[in-house]
Amino acid sequence: MNIELIGWGTFFATLLAAILRASAPIILPALGGLVSDLAGSVNVALEGIMLIAAFFGVLASAYSAIWFPTVPTWVHPWVGLVAGLSGGVLVAGLLAVFHLELGADLIVAGIGINILAAGLTVFLLVSITGDKGSTATLTSFALPCLHIPFVDHIPVLGTVLNGDGFAGHNIIVYVSLLAAPALAWLLYRTRFGLRLRAVGENRDAALAAGVSVKRMQYAAMLLSGVLASLGGIFLGMGYLTLFQADMTGGRGFLALAAVFLGGRRPLGTFIAAVVFGASTVFAARLGAYEIPSQVVFMLPPALTIIALVFFNIQRRRKIERRVSRVAATLPQAG
Amino acid sequence: MSNPVKGSKSWPRQLLRLAFVLAAALGCGFILTAMVSAEPVKAYGALLTGAWPDFGWSEDGSFTARRITRLGSLIEDATTLTLVGLAVAIPFRARQFSMGADGQLFLGALAAAAVSLHVSGPSILVIPAACLAAMTIGFLFGLFPGILKARFDANEIVTTLMLNVIAVQLYRLAITDWMRDPKGGFITTPPLPDAATLTSLLMRTNVSWMALVAICAAIGAWLLIKRTTIGYEITVVGENPKFAAQVGIPVAKATALSMAVGGLFSGLAGFHISNGLLKALPVDLPPGLGFEGIVVALLARNNPLAIPLVAILYAYLRVGAQVMERSSDVTREMVLIIQAFIILFVVAERFGPTFIVNWLGKRALKERTA
Repeated sequence: MNIELIGWGTFFATLLAAILRASAPIILPALGGLVSDLAGSVNVALEGIMLIAAFFGVLASAYSAIWFPTVPTWVHPWVGLVAGLSGGVLVAGLLAVFHLELGADLIVAGIGINILAAGLTVFLLVSITGDKGSTATLTSFALPCLHIPFVDHIPVLGTVLNGDGFAGHNIIVYVSLLAAPALAWLLYRTRFGLRLRAVGENRDAALAAGVSVKRMQYAAMLLSGVLASLGGIFLGMGYLTLFQADMTGGRGFLALAAVFLGGRRPLGTFIAAVVFGASTVFAARLGAYEIPSQVVFMLPPALTIIALVFFNIQRRRKIERRVSRVAATLPQAG
Repeated sequence: MSNPVKGSKSWPRQLLRLAFVLAAALGCGFILTAMVSAEPVKAYGALLTGAWPDFGWSEDGSFTARRITRLGSLIEDATTLTLVGLAVAIPFRARQFSMGADGQLFLGALAAAAVSLHVSGPSILVIPAACLAAMTIGFLFGLFPGILKARFDANEIVTTLMLNVIAVQLYRLAITDWMRDPKGGFITTPPLPDAATLTSLLMRTNVSWMALVAICAAIGAWLLIKRTTIGYEITVVGENPKFAAQVGIPVAKATALSMAVGGLFSGLAGFHISNGLLKALPVDLPPGLGFEGIVVALLARNNPLAIPLVAILYAYLRVGAQVMERSSDVTREMVLIIQAFIILFVVAERFGPTFIVNWLGKRALKERTA
């Protein structure tokens, strides 16, 4: 095979592997945002849930090693995973309770949760480690990477499947890739999904049809919490192996935008999240050229706004067409 | 879903609820502090009293005032918070969840600094020009998502959050590539010329007449809401958009304008930060001031006249938090936690003394019947 071709192939494969890595912490919360959005409750708190999950995941994995030194090392990251998931889901549950039981406005309460997460993580970080920036003083653990055997020697494919250093991708990267089809199946092929979407489409009709609306809203919010938590855990136990203050860096908000950019569909949301992930990779790589990285960072949000306007125009046209079609079939009056 | 914005309850009941919410939020904060701190009472004492300056008479009978800089930072902070509070409250009245105050503030500060650096002249000319530039940019950056919402029904939360990202990146690009001081050790603009900066009214602080401007802005916003047609339209659209459309109120115009007016106040806050407080723009402004505005607007129930009072109250806590950080082992992020609890408790309509009493009562009843 042509050497130059392999070189380019490897270059793009490295790029693809990097995009996969950068996209995973956006794909997962974006799918979480999609679930709650389809159930009719916009989850603005994705950012906060991620932050809490990352914090408790990292901390639990570190303290698991300190408190139980005799346990084999591979256990610690899983302890972290469980702790991070519990923390994130707890926060999502808190938001749900405030909205559904105490009548709080979901959006404002979601903002409150984000502020709570930002404050609480730094507050506990300082109290526990004495450092305001990160948990660098603690030894925390990363979740294992999944190394696919036998493909290392196949030029391009090996780099895509096992990353640049052939160490394999983190297990959560695979979870993020599988989550989109799994979620599509859950939402569009099961009774649970149908009911969930019915609640989002028309609450009163769902209630009249005998769907337990409140229970579905709780389920959607908690599932949203699980997915967002996984994204946060990946940041602290895969993407990096420590917790930094504000380490989500607006990914939760990007995820929220990805739901809208993707037209509120699983595949669309997935693609939108990958576009966001890719832009961070390109912004880092284009720094070597004359293009300022800030301009690259501006593109996805600009794209989101344009897409949002485009989708809404299209939706309006569709409704108009449907109305005129119905009007044409009706017997002409007068 | 109920409007988190309106205040239909009577004044004394609202005040009582406000006091209850504040007490509950501070209580939650204290429990957390007590869990981690070695000296929680001392830390909380610093938080609650740290912002007070020391007035007194010295031994020879003359009046002394110590820690006056703390009073200064309180007024500086309250000025900014009043303006961002107004920036959030006006769109809230039209039931628009504009999160764009952050981006508008960044661009307002940038515009004010650019005008101050490039227009030379007496301060009577430069300062209004910078102020006007900041307000115009803020207005336009609020009008844009407003039009997108009114014309294309584009979700304003998403568009304003995305515009924030764009604004912050534009700000960083402008500071690093176009306005950077080549002599500066770190990335910052050259110091603004003296003619463009606001003179200090209080020794060793940055308190300027912007504090009065902020109060005037609050009164102006109140007049706009209560005494003008567009203000009335904004309020009606917020309370019942279908009714507003039925009676012929231009809903789209009111929606877009409410967000644009909010942007105007954010821009003014940006001007205050650039020409009043920092007097040279670093590459990173403290983010999240827009979210602080949400707390202020919520606590004031979107009443413009209440916003300066709430801003002072909240600035008091923030200055106290800095004192607490210096004098104890608790970080200032404690105030973020308290802020979050305030937001959650304020919007949780059924949360209050009666809810807790009812809940306990119901449980007691259940236990008795069981």
